[in-house]
Order: sequence, then C-alpha cells, then structure tokens
Amino acid sequence: MSSQRRSCRSLVNWFYSTLQAVLNGLLTGALYGLIAMGMALIFGVMRIVNFAHGAFLMLGMYATYVLFQSTGISPYYGFPLAGAALFVIGYATYLGLLRPIRGQVDFMVILLTMGLALIITDGVQLIFGADYHQISIPLLSKNIRLGSQISINAPWLVSFAIAAVLAVVLYFVVTHTMFGRAARAIAQNRYAAPLMGINVNQVQAISFGIGSAAAGIAGSLLLPVFYLFPEVGNQFKLKSFVMVVLGGMGSIQGAAIAGLVLGVVESLTSLYWGNEWALAVDFVIFILVLSLKPSGIFGSQRA
Amino acid sequence: MIIAWAGCKGGSGGDSNTIRIGVVTSLTGSNAAFGQAHKNGYTIALEEINAKGGLLGKKVELDYYDDQSRPDQAVQGVSKLVDQDHVPIILGAYSSESTRAIVPVVTQKQIPLIIPTAVADNVMATGSAWVFRICAGSGSFATATLDFLKNNGNPKTLAIVSENTNFGQANNKSMTDASKAAGLDLVDAETYQASSPDYKSLLQRVKNKNPEAVYFASYLLDASTLMRQAEQVRLNPKYYTSAGTGFAAAEFPNSDKGAGKYAEYTFSVSQWLPSAKWKGSADFDQKFFKLTNTHPAYHAIEAYAALVVAAAAIDSAKTTQSQVVRDTLRQINLAETPFGPVKFDNTGQNAHPVLVTQVQGGQYKVVWPPDAAENKPILPTPEWSKRQ
Amino acid sequence: MKRWFFIGMGFFFLLALLVPLVVQSDYTLQILFRVFLFAALGLAWNLVGGYTGQLSLGHAAYFGVGAYSLALFSKAGVSPWVSVLLGMALAVLSAAVIGSVSFRLRGPYFALCTIAFAEVLRLTAKNLPNLTGGDVGVQVPLLFPYSSTKAFYISGVLLTLMVFALTAWIERSRFGYYLLAIREDQDAALAVGVNTSRYKLWILLISAALTAIGGALYASLFLFIVPDQVLAMEISTEIAIVAMLGGAGTLIGPLVGSITLETASEIFKTFFKEANLLIYGVLIVVVVLFLPEGIVGTIANKLRVFKTAPTAPFATPEPPDPEEEAQRAVISE
Repeated sequence: MSSQRRSCRSLVNWFYSTLQAVLNGLLTGALYGLIAMGMALIFGVMRIVNFAHGAFLMLGMYATYVLFQSTGISPYYGFPLAGAALFVIGYATYLGLLRPIRGQVDFMVILLTMGLALIITDGVQLIFGADYHQISIPLLSKNIRLGSQISINAPWLVSFAIAAVLAVVLYFVVTHTMFGRAARAIAQNRYAAPLMGINVNQVQAISFGIGSAAAGIAGSLLLPVFYLFPEVGNQFKLKSFVMVVLGGMGSIQGAAIAGLVLGVVESLTSLYWGNEWALAVDFVIFILVLSLKPSGIFGSQRA
Repeated sequence: MIIAWAGCKGGSGGDSNTIRIGVVTSLTGSNAAFGQAHKNGYTIALEEINAKGGLLGKKVELDYYDDQSRPDQAVQGVSKLVDQDHVPIILGAYSSESTRAIVPVVTQKQIPLIIPTAVADNVMATGSAWVFRICAGSGSFATATLDFLKNNGNPKTLAIVSENTNFGQANNKSMTDASKAAGLDLVDAETYQASSPDYKSLLQRVKNKNPEAVYFASYLLDASTLMRQAEQVRLNPKYYTSAGTGFAAAEFPNSDKGAGKYAEYTFSVSQWLPSAKWKGSADFDQKFFKLTNTHPAYHAIEAYAALVVAAAAIDSAKTTQSQVVRDTLRQINLAETPFGPVKFDNTGQNAHPVLVTQVQGGQYKVVWPPDAAENKPILPTPEWSKRQ
Repeated sequence: MKRWFFIGMGFFFLLALLVPLVVQSDYTLQILFRVFLFAALGLAWNLVGGYTGQLSLGHAAYFGVGAYSLALFSKAGVSPWVSVLLGMALAVLSAAVIGSVSFRLRGPYFALCTIAFAEVLRLTAKNLPNLTGGDVGVQVPLLFPYSSTKAFYISGVLLTLMVFALTAWIERSRFGYYLLAIREDQDAALAVGVNTSRYKLWILLISAALTAIGGALYASLFLFIVPDQVLAMEISTEIAIVAMLGGAGTLIGPLVGSITLETASEIFKTFFKEANLLIYGVLIVVVVLFLPEGIVGTIANKLRVFKTAPTAPFATPEPPDPEEEAQRAVISE
C-alpha cells in the first residue's frame, strides 16, 4: 500500500475512533450524570457533600445483584427496587444521623458521611465477602453495529435510555411539583423557607432520599456491564464531586450535562493520551473550572 | 500511661505448646478478595499439618496481620509479628507493593520470609538472603511467552497492555526488556487505570497500531472487561497472550464470573491449574471447593505451598530458631508438592516451571512447552466476526 | 492556669523523649512514632483547618512532596537532610499554587479543590514511572546513620514539640488573632482591614512545610515509597480526622486525637480483624454525633477551661441574605 493511502486510511481510522470514543463517552456519561444528579440535589438543598454517595451506589448494586440471583429479574426491570431501598436508607440516614448535626461545621458532616461510608463498605464486605461478583445477561453480547467501524454495546444503550428518562423525570419533579418547589425554596433560603410553611426537615430528608435513590439506581444500571465488589463506589464518588462542581452548584440539569461531558472527556483522553490519565484529567478540569468559573459551566448565580 | 497501655497491649509470643507462624496478607481493602484466597489456602494447609501431629510435637497456629492492602501497614505487621509475637518465620504479603515494602524489614530483623504470590521482579531485586519466593516472577512470564511465540508462528510485532500498578508495571517492564532482547518490535504499550468501566478507546489505540500479538497484564475483572470490549472494538491480533493472573483465573472462561466465550483462544502463562499433574493438586482442589464452593485460583495454592514449605523447613531444622530455619530453607528440596517441586536457588527464587495454556472449549489446556502440553495450540486466532 | 498547662505539656514531652529507654519493642515504638507523627501532622493541619477555618482534605500533597523530594533528590546525589529542606521548599511552592486557586473558594468547594490537587499529584506520580518509580516504587535513604526505630520515634516527638510550640506561639500572636477572625467571619475580617488572602496563604505555607518534614520522616522509616502510600487520600483524611476528632482549633486537640485514633486503630485490627474498619467507622460516627467539638473541644466546653481560643466557632449560621449567600457560597473576594 502506498504511504499516501496508508496515511489516508489511518486518518479515516482515527476519525472513526474519535467518533466511537465520543459515542462511548456519552453512553458512560449518562450513568455518571445520574449519579451526579443525585449528589447535586443533595448538595443544592442541604449543602451536604455526601462522602457515602459511592457506598450508596454500591448498595444499590448489591440489592440488584441479590434480586437477580434469587429471582432472575434483570437489573433493567429491577432497578426500581434499588431505588426504593436507597430512598429509604437515604431518608433514614438524613433524619437519624445528619439532621442532629446540622448546626455543625461542614467538615463534621463530611466526616460523618466518611465514617458511614466505612461502615457500609466494610459491613458489606463482612456479609458478602470481598470477592467480586458479576452477572451475565444475554443482552451483554448484543452489539449494534453502524457500518464496520462503529459499534454500540446494547446494555449501555439501555442504561442510557433509562438514565435519560430518569433525568427528565427528576427535572420535572424539581421544577413542577410542590415538593420540588419546596426543595428549591430551601436551597435558596434555608431560614425563610419554614416561614412559608415548608416542613424543612421532611423536604430535606426526602431530597436526601431521592438523591441516594439516584445513586442506587445508577448502581443497578452499572451491574450488568461492570462488576461488583465492596469498594466499587469509590471512583464514582470522586467523579461525582467533579461533575457537581462542573455543572454548577446544586443545578440538576447542570450535573446531568456535566456527566455527559465528563464521559466524553475521559473517553477522548483515553484515545489520544492514555487510559491512565483519564482520572487525572477529570481533576484538572475540576481545578480549571473552579479557578476560572467557580459557579460552574451551567451554574446560574442562584442556587 | 501511654507506655503502660502500649506495653499491656503486647501479647506474649505464643506459649510453649504452640508454634505460631506469622502471616501478612490483605484481609481488607482493595486486595481483600485475594487475601481471603490466601487465608483459605493457609487454612487447608494448616489443617493438614495439625492433622499429622503439628510440628516438633506442638500444634501450629497462624498469626495473621491484616495489611489493609497498604504497604505501610504490612511493614507495621512485620514489626508486630516479630517484636511482639516472636514468630520464627513470616509468609506473605499478598501484593507486590506490600511485599516489596517488607523485604528490607525482614532482612533487618533477620526473619525468613516466604513469598507466595508477588510476581514483580523488584521484590527479589535486593538479593536479600532472608527472602524466598515460591512463585515464578514476571521475567519468567515474559520469556516463557516469547518462547512459545517464537516456536508457533514467530510474530514480529507486539503490543503490551498493563494496569498502572506495581504488578502491571513490573510485567510491562519485563516484557519490554525481553521482547527487545528477542528482536520483536514493540509497536504499542498501553497502561490503564484498573477497574475502569470503559477500555474501548484504549483497545482502539492498540488496534490502530495493528500488532500481531498483544500481551496483557491484568486482573480477572479487567481481563473480562478487556476481552469483552475487544470484541466490540473488533481487535483481531493473531495472538492474545497474557501474564497470567486474570487471564489464568479459574473463573475467566466462565460466563457468569468471567469473560465467558470472549476468553476463548486466549493464551496465558500458568503456574498451576486444578488439573495439574502434581501429586495433591486434585486433592487441594476438592478441599478448597468443599471449604468455599468455588475452585481455587493459583493464589490459594501458592499460599498453601508457602505454609507447607515453611512447615517442612521447621520440621527439618528441628527448631524454630530463625537463622537455622532460614539455612534449612536454602537447602530445601521438595520434589513433590501440589504446587510442584520447590527448591530455592541462591537468590531465594524457586524455579517454578511456567507453562503456557490456551482456553479451548472453555477449558484451560496446556499447549507449551511440548513435553508438558496436553493439546496443540489453536492458531491462528479466529477473528471476532467469524466466531459464533 | 495557662502556665500550669505549659509546664504540664513540658513534662509530657520530656517523658515522651525518655520512652525509648524503657520500651524496647520495635513494634510499640513504631506505633508510638505513628502517634507522634500524626499528632505533628494534625497540629500542622490544625493551623489551617482549626485556627483559620479552611478545611483542607488534600494535605497528602505536601506529605508526598516531602517524601518524594527526599527519595528523588537523594537519588540524584543530594545529601538526605538537604533533600528534606528542598522538600520543604517544594511543599511551600505547591502550597502557594494550591492556595492561590483554592482559597478563592469557600466551604466544601475549598475542600474538594484540595482533594483534586492531591489526586492530580498522586496520579501524576503513578503514571510517570520513569520519573518517580511509579507503583514499582523508589528507594528512600536513611535520615539517621542507622535504621533505628528509636531515632525515628525521637524525631517524631521533636517534630510534634516543634509544631506544638509554633502553634502555641501563633495562637497568642496577632497573626493568630487574624486567623481566628478569618475563621469566624471572613467578610467581617476583610471589612475591618485584615488582609485575609495573605494570611490564609502564609499559614498554608507554614503548614505545608511542616507536613513535608513529616512526609520525609515517614518515607525514611519505610525505606521505600509508592504514590498510593504517601499521596493517598487516606493520608489526607487521617490527618484531618485526627485533628477534628481531637478538637480542631485547640492546642492539644490533635495530640489527643492522634493518641486516641492510632491506638484505637491498632487495637481494632488485633481484636476485630476483618471488621476493624467497620468499628473504626462507628467510632468516627459516634464521636461526630456526641463530641461535636472534638474530644478536647467538648471537654473544654464542659469545663470552661483552656479557652485560649473559642472552640465553638462553626455553629454560627451564615448571614441570611439569599442572593449574596448563593454567590459567596462558591467564591470569595
């Protein structure tokens, strides 16, 4: 083959590779976005940075795994269970552990969530063992091929769809329901809200529950394409921080879009630089956004 | 007050009716699954030893220290086991990082160390006279693979894919050096962050360089993800080879816990299989299955072998005095253990034979070297689109 | 009252220095070294976190810079102790960079930013094995002519003493007063003319330099380091936890915190084996719920003594103006 044709072919290769990377990034990013939306809701309404968010994701994964192993229900149908379970856990955690220390400095709250994460992670390890678990569903080996160069793995497409629907639902809940309005009111002014007749504790607890449920559902959707072990939540927790900041303080739609952006950035970094740098690039972007536009890319100046 | 407290905490080093052997492994943290495999292997060996009457007329106990998958904790563990519990010998740790960290300490405290699973070559690089390694190292993995390739098609180009940990970097380095010496062209070397959900871009990079052979250094979960996504990316080298571990795990060809059909045709170096012809291998497999309801990976049997060798050394030395035990280890020559023969050379390395296996029909079959081979290798590796 | 306190602490340190005459076990000395090391690190963190109210979760960056400076400069031929000084200088430089970006942020944003910087450092060290040895690791020289845990223990005590004295001095100086003002209400402080950016930066530089010494000592004890050991987020959180649980903003808080947590950790490991992290987590949760000012802080409140610095600073709610709050909550100045 002449060198001209070879370089033309290689250019074409790289074009398709880039396209594929962007596609992969969007698919992964949808899941990231879901996790981040949960954290953004919690942060927006309560200004709590939940270091146990990753542990909640993990719990959702385990719940779905147990469901699958005992009843054969696929995660794509079983995820509401994970969501419900994590809602309850989140709600209880807020009322039982976090509300009592509301008046304290931010870091004590962070510290408590760190302690909670340790308890959950080690507890799960004691119950389920440290060994990895994986499930196998037929959908996993289905790929949708567009031409000879682009392929989309079916499970990721399904999780993208579910995550997108949930994102829209959550946005709707936050903007159009009474609860959503109450939550936004609290986010805007924690002290005036009770004067408007809002039961702050309830709304905050529900918000925490919903945010945690989002993490749990993301865990369910992750189960078929990834694998399960007690520490699985760690990487997602750190990335959530990045996305919440990127998206703008407490902005749910911002977090969702930030998720997509992060997914694509990681994918392109892996393609052009190297997979091992993807996480570092995440943090560099984080720092850049914080230095240049701290209110986030999509952050309004309002909460 | 603090001093008294600290002093009271210290236990005595085992009473006169038991012999306590020190074990450092990762019972919690990111390597906990392997630490547990270690523990199971040790448990089986311990039961066998005590069933035969223990050592020197005394019951044997294991003194575990959990390094929480952190090297600094491993070092602390060695201190505790030696200074506090006065163990005569230490087995461990699990990971190359932790093991590398404890080598200077055991050397300084003059306690023999038997390493069951850490394969990085830097672990043995200090040449300490107190360190013994049962398993083969990353250098042996590379040479065995190249040997196989040379005699089965002799490919000219190679890509290495490894994780960015000590295990991955060590294997990367070993293969880089060995392939250079063998005259191969290393067209690509990729490192990845372990436990990522998406390696497709990385595999695309490898595909764009078009290597004839790819060499992986991965643990089971990433191995499964990589092979599954290799199919999605349609990466079709002539040879999929690997430095064992994930690609040699018992569950790897399994569709429930591993890569399932995507594991087919992959080559791997192997140190042990439940089907190995060594005496006691099948036995160990059965006992392990009875204990845990899963089949053992080589981590468990390496732990088992480490304890067996330690016991043999103490038995032969007729004492638990560390210096004597160490000297006995240097001379030891066990022709038959379920992990094969054990004999340490003058650097403390056991010349454990490295085989090459291929996944054929969902089973590992030894394909190299010829005198140990069960089957011929299936070559060339069929392209993904042509497989069912 | 205060004089008795300092005389008491003097005795404490004197006794601590005499410990190696009595304790021979390497293991115990290592644990005690760890106790004093983290006490020193906690005290150094306390300067920024406790007194100035800037809660950094990325102090591992300075710790790691100290450790790696010792390893890499020595490898290049520089003598070990000079390498430690270079490490301090590099840590100060890092702090200047990190601080200039992070201090513009408030609250959780500041903490997350510090995490990000530390992680970038860790990942860079991990992914550049040709420079740093990566995960394969790099050798660290001995800072003392013989590898004696006793020498390390003593250096740990001395470092703690040094940071303790420094903290006490700062606490009673005008500089310390400015820091407290910044913690209590940064905008009010600014309004009365306190140069908040300058002081925040200075205290971070000091904290970083001290943390770097700790990192170098730690590295030298283990003779060998990898990024996940000295740049890990676990180190950052351990430092912060030691100070917060002991009592941030108090003088002996970090010391008490370190003693409690390090010995608790060892005990849990011995008695609870695999469950040790769970119990540790429970300990943290219990302390946060019932000892909100940290151990020393809560006791001080109850006894109303040791009030060298207000120990309940953080409970004051933010001013209720919503728009400004939203704006200021992310950025400052």
